[in-house]
Amino acid sequence: MTRRFDPIVLWQIAVGVLLLAGWEAVGRLSGGAWTSRPTLIAAKLAVWLHGTLYIHVATTLTEVVTGLLAGATLGVLAGLLLGRAPIAAGILRPIVVAFYSVPLVALAPLFIMFFGLDMLPKIVLVTLVVFFLLFFNTFAGASSVDQDLIAQVELMGSTRREMFQKVVAPACMAWIIGGIKTALPYALVAATTGEMLAARRGLGFLLSDAASQFDMTSLYAALFILMLLGLAVSEMAAWGERHMLRWRHAAG
Amino acid sequence: MPRGDLAPKISLAGVGKTFVTRDREVEALQPIDLAILDHEFVALVGPSGCGKSTILNLIAGLLQPSGGVVSYDGMAVSELNRQVGYMTQKDTLLPWRTAADNIRIALELKCRAVPRAEAAARVAQMIDLVGLTGFERHYPAELSGGMRKRVALARTLIYEPETLLMDEPFGALDAQLKLLMLDQLQELTRQRRMTVVFVTHDLGEAITLADRVVVFSARPGRIRTVRSVDLPRPRDVFRIRFTEDFSHLHEALWDELQDEVARGTDV
Repeated sequence: MTRRFDPIVLWQIAVGVLLLAGWEAVGRLSGGAWTSRPTLIAAKLAVWLHGTLYIHVATTLTEVVTGLLAGATLGVLAGLLLGRAPIAAGILRPIVVAFYSVPLVALAPLFIMFFGLDMLPKIVLVTLVVFFLLFFNTFAGASSVDQDLIAQVELMGSTRREMFQKVVAPACMAWIIGGIKTALPYALVAATTGEMLAARRGLGFLLSDAASQFDMTSLYAALFILMLLGLAVSEMAAWGERHMLRWRHAAG
Repeated sequence: MPRGDLAPKISLAGVGKTFVTRDREVEALQPIDLAILDHEFVALVGPSGCGKSTILNLIAGLLQPSGGVVSYDGMAVSELNRQVGYMTQKDTLLPWRTAADNIRIALELKCRAVPRAEAAARVAQMIDLVGLTGFERHYPAELSGGMRKRVALARTLIYEPETLLMDEPFGALDAQLKLLMLDQLQELTRQRRMTVVFVTHDLGEAITLADRVVVFSARPGRIRTVRSVDLPRPRDVFRIRFTEDFSHLHEALWDELQDEVARGTDV
């Protein structure tokens, strides 16, 4: 697919520039105690880029990616198995629902007590958040696989395992990828929240550290980095979805 | 007379099926007796909703009868019957696999363990046979209804099950293509000596292919008549319908079918 240049992009850039200029003007006129100014923020970012920014970004990303991998793996496996085992699912249902009813970030203080100040409590928190989202999505997918597709492959002589590999898992792929797309922003929220509560590194730490010193410029700069990270993460998810679900878009 | 004089490959003894819906019972099939011999090609014809598909589902073990016994090779069918290949009326291609990958799936299973190169060769041969060259890498959503039927046919034929259950396999095909497919099907099932149970609403198709034609009554289904087709084989599917024997059979069977079609609800 080739994308032609769209004039609307020019307008989008113009609006963006206008907003930044407005912010800059307000900042200069009011002294900028609360609003800071884009030029100051940019200067701050430049300083960070030559300094410690890397370690904070790396910390947050490591927590997100590790938690995502662990949570998604466990969630998908549990969803696939329970999705095809209605009796076990019925028994476990109230327990899962009860756990999920606790606002998960509220568990952050508990994990910090258990696992200390470094990355581990944040990874556990991200894992838990991702696990539930992936579990529910995969479960819904696995329990709604077309029974006729399963029967067809079973008649050909598939083992139970082959039926899982060749029918249930691929049929759930759209659900799993949808789950990962939903889970990505939540993973970022969980990691940052954990860092804001207690940490020595990470973007959440950067944020709460700036706030505690009333350093508005650093606060906005940290938010800006988080925004970029959020954008990158959701773009990656969209890209992954397009490539893994080619058959879905085949008709279009 | 049907070929062979062995014990039946498939037998239905007093087999009936009643479906229970929320507030009432629907009798899809009245108790029937039917024996299908080894290597026999039997066509089931009748108006829509007469329980023809139910019979295939019972033989495949996808349904259990409400009464009577379905047996295969002398054993009661109590679970999925893996001796049969079943081409259902409903489209059951895997939407995330290309045409070629769909056709290959049975060869990937451990119970066959066909080496990769051999599987590829057989898939190519099947694709050629059903006339889908050039569409190997298309997904089901990109194929027409008739093409999807042909993929399903190739997928079922490729692993050469000893018994073939087919539910209106050629309904969606145009007339010329249908004849080509009938020809291929006759050739393959004769070569591999398959037992075939073939559901259709096209009487001509039934007479062209079958050793015996079973005519069903409108719902609740029961057997109205069974006729042997004594036309010599191999049959020329393109011209057989212009022979005198064919017309006589067609006329006789149509007389039977006509009343039932008239009584069928959806005609």
